[in-house]
Amino acid sequence: MIRRQISTAVPIYIAIYIFQEALINQFRLPWGGFSLLLIVCLIWAILSSPEIAALGGFISGVLMDLSQSSSGPIGQWTLLMVTASCAVSYLGSGSENLSDNPLGFTFLTTSAIVLLEIAYLTTGALLGVTVGGLRHILFTLIGISIWSMLVTPLVLPIFSRLHAFTFDTRSAL
Amino acid sequence: MRRGAEGRTRLLLIILIVTSLLLITLDLRGVAVLKGARQASQTILSPFQRAGTVVLSPIKDFVSDITRLGRTRSQIENLRTENAELKSELLNRLSADAQLDQLKSILDLAGRAGFKVINARVISQGSSHSFAQTITVDIGSKAGIKRNMTVLSKFGIAGVVKDVYPNSALISLATDPSFRIGVRIAGSQQIGILSGRGNRSANLQLIDNLTTVKVGDILLSRGSISNRPFVPGVPVGYITSVDNSAGAIAQSASVYLYTDFAALSIVAVVLGASASNPGDALVPLKPKPTPIPTVTIYITPSPTPTD
Repeated sequence: MIRRQISTAVPIYIAIYIFQEALINQFRLPWGGFSLLLIVCLIWAILSSPEIAALGGFISGVLMDLSQSSSGPIGQWTLLMVTASCAVSYLGSGSENLSDNPLGFTFLTTSAIVLLEIAYLTTGALLGVTVGGLRHILFTLIGISIWSMLVTPLVLPIFSRLHAFTFDTRSAL
Repeated sequence: MRRGAEGRTRLLLIILIVTSLLLITLDLRGVAVLKGARQASQTILSPFQRAGTVVLSPIKDFVSDITRLGRTRSQIENLRTENAELKSELLNRLSADAQLDQLKSILDLAGRAGFKVINARVISQGSSHSFAQTITVDIGSKAGIKRNMTVLSKFGIAGVVKDVYPNSALISLATDPSFRIGVRIAGSQQIGILSGRGNRSANLQLIDNLTTVKVGDILLSRGSISNRPFVPGVPVGYITSVDNSAGAIAQSASVYLYTDFAALSIVAVVLGASASNPGDALVPLKPKPTPIPTVTIYITPSPTPTD
């Protein structure tokens, strides 16, 4: 069961990763822009069981680590994505109202992204990654939050339906 | 059953976290495989990124144009203004250079002849509706200009002061149909009267019918009493054709005037001249032909014939 679900999710993640690297990154969006792979992975994780969420987080983390724009060592995003996906999956499955509440969904995704970025900064600092000055960090964090808040409601229906269609686990939002 | 599922999830999570930590450790230790993985990922992505660039460039340009519309407009306006200023500056510079060149030549001419001159800038070209050929200069009686003073260009005679005002003066050009000047041929010293014809070509009437003139002869001003209206020895023009028609009372010739009246921006008004006549000292030198370099190519035939 898990193997079938993951084998379906992997091509989707790869396609989103290519879309992110080839198209979205071409636009030099103000204040850092957004990571579609991160948003989709978290949406996917909220809608999935913790096992699937962890595996999805691992795959997307590896892909994010392989990106040229990633400044940290390979494995940093993987570790963070596994943890974050698992966490949001637990939070998502614990909240009965979340699946019917796109606003709550968006809030959870955005919060998770911000916390993930902070965790990335913290672990990056521990691992010796140069991340820039405090002003730059603050602006990027605010920018990513705003972008995520804007993009999540747009992609949520698509990936929610895709998830429901693929796994038939939870109701589509 | 549920506890088993939870245990499996926990185990999977631990395995994934440990794997992540292992990846971090290996990467930080500089394992080549992981570095290669990132390079391989970029190699795979490159064609997609190139395609993305091609596909998105019109959209990016459009978005960029939209977002920079205000800035672009103001930038275009600034550049236009700057361009106009630079063009104006360049024109002024070119004009100044041309004026400087004329001024230097005039001063050189006047200096060689020992004339006392005052330079003037042409401020107006006379209207042609009255068929007169005149210019107005920016100095007048306040600068010592008087009627019937010789006006020089860098090439020679330009005209004569026709009317004087306090701060300007009207100059009758040598091309004016009413313009008359006594001239002599450099070398032979034959004399004649040159009259304007409305263009750069003037008419010469020689006094002595027995005089022989030829094409290319240079004419100099003969000079007047008290150097007014004309100082002596100033180049006027050269003969381009001679009319030797039988029965003519006086020999006539066409003369091409030295002064380029179309490009006249600086002139000099002769206030006084030295007592000595400069003679033929001001005859312009014939232009030296510029040598054209020739290239000689030697071709040595090959010792062995080729097919």
